[in-house]
Amino acid sequence: MSQLSTRHLLGIKDVTESDIRLILETAANFKEVINRPIKKVPSLRDITIANIFFENSTRTRLSFELAEKRLSADVVNFSSSNSSVKKGETLVDTVNNILAMKVDMVVMRHASPGAPHFLSRNVKANIVNAGDGTHEHPTQALLDSFSMQEKLGDLAGKKVAIIGDILHSRVALSNIFCLQKLGAEVMVCGPITLLPKYISSLGVKVELDVKKALEWCDVANVLRIQLERQQIKYFPSLREYSLYYGINKKMLDSLNKEIVLMHPGPINRGVELSSDAADSAHSIILDQVENGVAVRMAVLYLLAGARN
Amino acid sequence: MSVLFKNLRFIRNGKISEPKNFFIHDQSFKELVDSSESEFKEIIDCSSYFASSGWIDLRCGLGEPGQEYRETVESLCQSLISSGFVKAVIMPNTDPVIQSKNEVDFVLNRSRKFGIDLEIMGAVTKNTLGEDLTEILDMHFQSGVKIFGDGIKPLSNSDRFMKILQYLQKFDGVLFDHAYDPLLSIFGQMHEGEISTQLGMKGIPNLSEDIAIQRNLEILRYTGGRVHFQTLSTKKGVELIRKAKAEGLNVTADTSIYQLIFKDKDLMTFDPNYKVNPPFRSESDRAALIDGILDGTIDALVSNHQPQDFDSKFSEFDLASFGMAGLQAFLPALVQLSQELSWEVLIEKITAGPSKIIGSQNESVTIFDPTQSWVYDEKSNKSLSSNHPWFGTSLTGQVKFVFQKGNLQRVNE
Repeated sequence: MSQLSTRHLLGIKDVTESDIRLILETAANFKEVINRPIKKVPSLRDITIANIFFENSTRTRLSFELAEKRLSADVVNFSSSNSSVKKGETLVDTVNNILAMKVDMVVMRHASPGAPHFLSRNVKANIVNAGDGTHEHPTQALLDSFSMQEKLGDLAGKKVAIIGDILHSRVALSNIFCLQKLGAEVMVCGPITLLPKYISSLGVKVELDVKKALEWCDVANVLRIQLERQQIKYFPSLREYSLYYGINKKMLDSLNKEIVLMHPGPINRGVELSSDAADSAHSIILDQVENGVAVRMAVLYLLAGARN
Repeated sequence: MSVLFKNLRFIRNGKISEPKNFFIHDQSFKELVDSSESEFKEIIDCSSYFASSGWIDLRCGLGEPGQEYRETVESLCQSLISSGFVKAVIMPNTDPVIQSKNEVDFVLNRSRKFGIDLEIMGAVTKNTLGEDLTEILDMHFQSGVKIFGDGIKPLSNSDRFMKILQYLQKFDGVLFDHAYDPLLSIFGQMHEGEISTQLGMKGIPNLSEDIAIQRNLEILRYTGGRVHFQTLSTKKGVELIRKAKAEGLNVTADTSIYQLIFKDKDLMTFDPNYKVNPPFRSESDRAALIDGILDGTIDALVSNHQPQDFDSKFSEFDLASFGMAGLQAFLPALVQLSQELSWEVLIEKITAGPSKIIGSQNESVTIFDPTQSWVYDEKSNKSLSSNHPWFGTSLTGQVKFVFQKGNLQRVNE
């Protein structure tokens, strides 16, 4: 069995293409597993994993927990919407306290970009980044690529438009890195105030007109408007956003081709996506959720293999 | 006679002298012409050393009063001396802020026994909040403060900036300005550019500094007076100062030495030791700073010493404090820069350059060995803080002697 060349999954930027392909291939095997009547395998039965979430999360935390349980790992959960520092304890202290209970791997979501990198330098466990502020969300990008591959085959030469709040999105950044490593072309589209000024330095196309972006792409990955991460005003109103950047079924039907519609969730229905678009045949949003478990099983399984 | 400095090369007035012998006589550092070596108790081989006038640092942070765990007056003075500095401008960002004659006198009294001249930068607005003026005249006439500014805080209120410049003219005071627009850099963690985009971090755009320098130059043009711009970091900022000087405005400028050493790429590992304000910028900004040093747009190099305790740097990047310790790594940084700038230029920026800005007469001497290796670690560290990326590594360039007010101090022995 092949092994990953890294013992942490901190971000896609530093993961090699061959590691990405190994994760996606392994995920395909685990997808078969979780569709069996008995969904559990004993692979990680000697491993204890802590899910440490300093930011609110429903689906990512559940997805990781299911993945861990289906691999027979022991699981502990710690959730706090405040950062540990606000409670008077440092991040390293919090995590070391949990590790003292003999935990092998840490899955962490944190509001600070680079928090998992900081942690990986200072604690012994394997670290999986489950989202670090506006930086990366590597397992989301992997499951997005997995889902696209399921639908479209090899992603080389495929065109993916990422639409919405790029500035505050860790999903956008991880997706850009992942898709480019797999040979896809990437475009970002959104109000210019929500696009990082130097985003084109990452080798992506930039488009301000959502209709043109939809006409260009094979896949539209629509992002959530991150109201909770916008510390200041970037656009006048949700009404105006939905009128000029929202996607509805009529727009999808007016294209002279079929495109794939994705969203990392949770959807602000009626803002970035209308319900008739989100629930249309174009949408693979629920496939993404299912694939999330398989991809996270692959990541945890492979990292456990690279543990020493 | 006691000590003979043999074969010492002196850097001054833009030249490096041939090796000569020096000695201390009548509390002065003098060239030895005729006497024989046998008259000296101690002969020091200085053939690998350089000497210059004592170094001056125009921007230095302190923790006392209030944050003695970062840096006390004593630890700062010892750091300064062992780094070759005989004079330093101290920023007012303590707790309480240095904003009245009481705080000024407190710091100056504490520093007296260490044989180093501290020039206090008196805060110009109460608690450095940028609004109400402090008692500037009282600080000047009662405690001798000549330099005013809010240190690490910007003066973003145009009206206050104007009034301060007018007010300072009563005694030809100089305003030290760290110019940036705080709204344009709000929540910013690092230089806005390709790297911040890759790291998903909120950037501090060049625009923030450029627009503040431009505005403040226009206000200066209106009011008259004198502004010294601190810690330039942008290409446009250098151009603006160059143009202002050519137009005859009364401006000077400095940059932090570490702006010339590090770049935004160094932040790729999220190491909070690289978190500074202004942030480390792009290669083209750095190149413009070098040009500015060469053509005299930038008058001085500063340490911008901002000591931070371990805990405030051992954290997530966006929660860590800004600032880098800058004193003991200063000479090793000069040694690194001597690959592309001459020693004559580098030394001018920490002697004659700053001396003109603060109007000091400098009879002191700093003697250093640019080839000596040493380890920057807990043992050699004189500061109470160690927030520098080079801490724990071996560095090249060590200060050996500081001669100040008739006293010879052997440092780093």
